Amino acid sequence: MARILDLHLHSEASDDSRAPVEAYLKWLARKRDERPLEGLVLTEHRQFNQAGDYRDLEDKYGLLILKASEVETDYGHVLVYGVNEDILTRFDFKNVRLPAQEVITEVAHRGGIAMPCHPGRPTIGLIEHYQKKPPLEGVVGVEALNGGSKKGENERVAELIETYGYHAFGGSDSHLVSFVGLCATEFDRDIKTIEDLVEALRAGGYRPVDFRPQRPQPPLVS
Amino acid sequence: MALEFDRSMIGQVFDETVFPPVTTEEIVEFATALGETNPLYIDETAAGKGLYGGLVAPPTFVTKLRAKKFTPDHLPKFGKVGFDGGRDLAIHAPVRPGDQLTMLSTIHDIYEKTGRTGSMYFIVIRNEVKNQKGEKVAVIDHRIMQR
Repeated sequence: MARILDLHLHSEASDDSRAPVEAYLKWLARKRDERPLEGLVLTEHRQFNQAGDYRDLEDKYGLLILKASEVETDYGHVLVYGVNEDILTRFDFKNVRLPAQEVITEVAHRGGIAMPCHPGRPTIGLIEHYQKKPPLEGVVGVEALNGGSKKGENERVAELIETYGYHAFGGSDSHLVSFVGLCATEFDRDIKTIEDLVEALRAGGYRPVDFRPQRPQPPLVS
Repeated sequence: MALEFDRSMIGQVFDETVFPPVTTEEIVEFATALGETNPLYIDETAAGKGLYGGLVAPPTFVTKLRAKKFTPDHLPKFGKVGFDGGRDLAIHAPVRPGDQLTMLSTIHDIYEKTGRTGSMYFIVIRNEVKNQKGEKVAVIDHRIMQR
């Protein structure tokens, strides 16, 4: 049961991460005061990690561990929650040019939810594509707070959310152990399963939470 | 549309290199060059009483091995430039003095991904290292990135 989850991170199952899932959990156990997470959602790149079974780790560390995917589309990268056989049959997750509108619509019809991530990022973020193409229909929310974003990328998202009325969520986008849980999402309801997560993401009642250490502000000089 | 190339090349062995037997001197030199102080790698007598019952090479020793051919003759090209995209090393068994190592090279994977600066193409060259008993010693995956 969890209310604060990191909705976006990668383990060694992704090609560009070397972080074992247990190392994430050990790190969070050490950092519990700073990053009070209750769950993780592993969003591996261009795949769904069918083989990953983390039930023993859940029991050992007392955290909820769910599995999802990050796919690549003609509107940038999109997180897919509630991946099932039906969705995997419909879409080739290795294809880096998936049609975003079909992903959004058909994932929803098949019991999941697809949500654009790091929308402020050049080339692979929604905002840049919205400047050239019509907006997508059926987008429920976007990742407003991404732990891997460069300066200015998260800041661009506020206007997108205001314009389209999207829900906002957060994730660390961690590829390294020490980055886990720096950004996360707080829900108003308890999440126990991937079905709970999909339902909650559709319904709203969540917000990004930022656990990054704040840099001290320089003193004002008159 | 998925990345297009001749998928039959995946997993095909394009090089087999057999190396001369590993010597004690070679192991000690490699370990010393790394600044290694663990007696398992530099002191035969002390290593004899250790975990492996004798001197062994440091885990990264296999990265000094060079195959006759690093890439196949017809390496696919997906962009104008290519560069080192990093390497992964998985260790399976220790290397000991006298071991005769063989390296088999294959294209393990080819894939595309997108990032802030556009599309990137990765070719993964896999070197599988075995000893004279046929035991798998190590697997080294080299990523060549093209764009």
